[in-house]
Amino acid sequence: MSNVALAEKLAVIVGDRFVLQRDGDLLVYNSDGLPGYRRKPRLAVFPGSREETVAVVRALADAGAAFVPRGAGTGLSGGALADDVVLLGLHRLKRVMSIDQENLRAVVEPGVVNLVLNKTIAPLGLLYAPDPSSEAACTIGGNLAENAGGPHCLKYGVTLNHILAITALLPNGEIMSLGNPEGEIDGYDLRGAFIGSEGCFGVALDATVRLTKKPVAVRTMLADFTSVDSAAHVTSAIIASGIIPAALEFMDEATIKVVESSVYAAGYPSDAAAVLLIEVDGNEAGVSADRDAIEKICLDGGARAVKVARTEAERGRLWQGRKKAFGAMGRMAPHLVVQDAVIPRTKLAPVLRRIAEIAAANRVTVCNVFHAGDGNLHPNIPYNADDPDESERVHRSMGEIMHACVDAGGSITGEHGVGLDKIGYIDLIFSAESLRAMCRLREVFDPDHRSNPGKVVPIHACQEWRATPAGRKSPASELVAVSAESQGV
Amino acid sequence: MPDDAGPACALQGTPLAAALPGINACVHCGFCLQACPTYLALEDENESPRGRIFLMRSLLEGTVTPNDESVRTHIDRCLGCRACETACPSGVPYGQLLEATRATLREAELPPAAARIILWVFSHPALMRIAMFASRLLAATPIPTIMSKISGRAGFGMAMLASAGSPLERDAYFCEGDGKRGTSSVLLGCVMEGLFTETNRATERVLTKNGYQILDAPGQGCCGALHAHAGDLETARKLARVNIAAFERSPADFISVNAAGCGAMMREYEHLLKDDADWRDRAAAVASRVRDVSELLSAAGPIPGGRMPLRVTYDAPCHLVHAQRITLPPLAVLAAIPGLELIPLRDSENCCGSAGIYNLIEPETSDAVLAPKLENIAETGASFVATGNPGCLMQIGAGLLRSGSRARAIHPVDLLDASYAMQQQ
Repeated sequence: MSNVALAEKLAVIVGDRFVLQRDGDLLVYNSDGLPGYRRKPRLAVFPGSREETVAVVRALADAGAAFVPRGAGTGLSGGALADDVVLLGLHRLKRVMSIDQENLRAVVEPGVVNLVLNKTIAPLGLLYAPDPSSEAACTIGGNLAENAGGPHCLKYGVTLNHILAITALLPNGEIMSLGNPEGEIDGYDLRGAFIGSEGCFGVALDATVRLTKKPVAVRTMLADFTSVDSAAHVTSAIIASGIIPAALEFMDEATIKVVESSVYAAGYPSDAAAVLLIEVDGNEAGVSADRDAIEKICLDGGARAVKVARTEAERGRLWQGRKKAFGAMGRMAPHLVVQDAVIPRTKLAPVLRRIAEIAAANRVTVCNVFHAGDGNLHPNIPYNADDPDESERVHRSMGEIMHACVDAGGSITGEHGVGLDKIGYIDLIFSAESLRAMCRLREVFDPDHRSNPGKVVPIHACQEWRATPAGRKSPASELVAVSAESQGV
Repeated sequence: MPDDAGPACALQGTPLAAALPGINACVHCGFCLQACPTYLALEDENESPRGRIFLMRSLLEGTVTPNDESVRTHIDRCLGCRACETACPSGVPYGQLLEATRATLREAELPPAAARIILWVFSHPALMRIAMFASRLLAATPIPTIMSKISGRAGFGMAMLASAGSPLERDAYFCEGDGKRGTSSVLLGCVMEGLFTETNRATERVLTKNGYQILDAPGQGCCGALHAHAGDLETARKLARVNIAAFERSPADFISVNAAGCGAMMREYEHLLKDDADWRDRAAAVASRVRDVSELLSAAGPIPGGRMPLRVTYDAPCHLVHAQRITLPPLAVLAAIPGLELIPLRDSENCCGSAGIYNLIEPETSDAVLAPKLENIAETGASFVATGNPGCLMQIGAGLLRSGSRARAIHPVDLLDASYAMQQQ
């Protein structure tokens, strides 16, 4: 179907204003939170209700048109880029449909912004635990697609642990319930498969999210170190002591300086080599004991000082500085690469040393700001992309850092997803066989590869699988057959 | 590997090209989206700071031209509230980028006639006096109130006029001060002196009572904010030079401003005249003396007044909270009134949709931005909404009037002045 004909068809469903097809209108949708990549969608459509969303996806299915779901476009792996396919923006679906205080859950539409949900439930003494740094802008639907993390996921778990059920809309227009609000999983955990599928399995029409009681007591500490090594060792020592802090975050000198020059200046010591932002929560007696123990570990491990936030406002500032750190890096250079990798926590010190060596050898500045407690690194490099030599050095450094993380027993993404940016690294951690298994799983939900095509699993991996004779059988029928057997049918 | 876009080398020599460093500070993180009133109302990222900055960058990369309809529409629809600036970790000077973009687009195509006529009147003191005189005559009749209910912009304009001035009657009181906090001239402004004359006199009285000696600054005029926001930087500079010269002649320590938009503009005179070697330093010197009236009052306490048991809520003018980053002083002014109950306003820091002459030029979006403001005001049950900017006073006032609310918009200074009058009875 021609672009114009498809646009007309979609405009009947959502109204003219919410179908974009002029080049000038599509420009901003060429990028997500990683503007180094640009891909032009053939058109963009923004349904305003559940019914419109279903009608749009069915119309796209009828037209055989591929699409990319997008929330707020804050993703950091290029996952929401639409390369000459339809961009399906779900940000207008922003109703909190119900809050069940007694059972600690809420049903929300995918476009609800993470922080808006938290503001809505805060007066009830409740919170939604996963708190990605982009919480002020990112949507629950996007969090679900990326299985987003955040500082407090150290203790509370990632998005997967907080989505109980999903009403999924498959790319063929079929509506499916995955998981159930009671949190019991019957049969295969398809909800678990759908969360983190990066938009390749379809879209969520709503999600039943788990709410958490606000802890009675919280202590937020800022430990300041004159050596990166000490901060890394202390991180490991805290977890080894048996305490699981609510959050344990690391910021290096370059990051501290840039935050301190922004509107989110938090009072971090700008002469420190690194700081750890540590939070413990629970009941009063417990947090006091944990706080004392952590303070001792920090001081024994070489911290100059451990400061505790005295007021809620002070705590808020300490967190805002951390959460807005990546945005603040725009002050340093016109462009920025944001990286995401995971390593075993015990390897923090040697890997950070290796990153510093890579940066020095390539003459680039790395700003480290990351979730230290779970070994989730974010080495970011501000640079000027208009300088081809610098650009080359930056991208070479990133490749070397990824290899260093994998060599240390880590993985290529902690929470940002594979999207487009990491697809070139996926062979580092998955065998061809594993990739083929992923392709088969994807085809259960999206046999035509119409939802977010070209992301996560490299096309060649799926093509290889398709080329084998066994692969030509319908993958969905295979899985269904297995499932029927297991149920004794 | 990312495919970074090419260098930004189109439109050389334009104000936009000069603004490139500010554009480059944007890393596209999206933290501004939820702070943007037009994004929230229109649900399209083109109507957001991140989207508009992308368009600005695209103009410089040459992927779109200044005549592009999309570019013009989305840049025109920006309120210029600058709420994105207080949300931006990277310190993008969005207000300056917007003015540079509008100035550049203006070279390709002039803004709508209605906007040009309004700005033309504002830049001619004699015409402005006639317009304000006629408005005052009309405002003194029941016509604006009667016509305020008719639909469309005409009705809204009448409602704005009906909401101009202070809604609180007060008796004259004898005002004296010791002058020990220094001397201040007052920016009279065009709309403030034209339609809020009593608020200007109240400003002089409350400053006097709080220890500031008021000095005249004859020869002053329009601050040029409306022109700068519309991209007519040349006229803005002309008006700025007139004001700079006038305030240089006043030996006062401070230049007190009771209109947030004018205060924000005057504080940025140095940036406006940065390329004018003769005026840059003079602009900086005048700008450094500018204070919002609430800053001067809160530095002095302010002195408590007589009891006024009123339920009041406070709406922060964008150009006070986001452009000048002034949050607490207006609350200190209200706190000096015994018996006044201050009820917090949800999303007080969000724009009301007034934005200079935006409510006349982009009525639909302005209404969409005003709607949640009116709902939040209704939720407080307050009888007065205090806010320190004439545009906001008339926009919120008109919205309240047309929605049948009995609440009224009022300048914080008028409340304090009434409280002082009450004390002397």
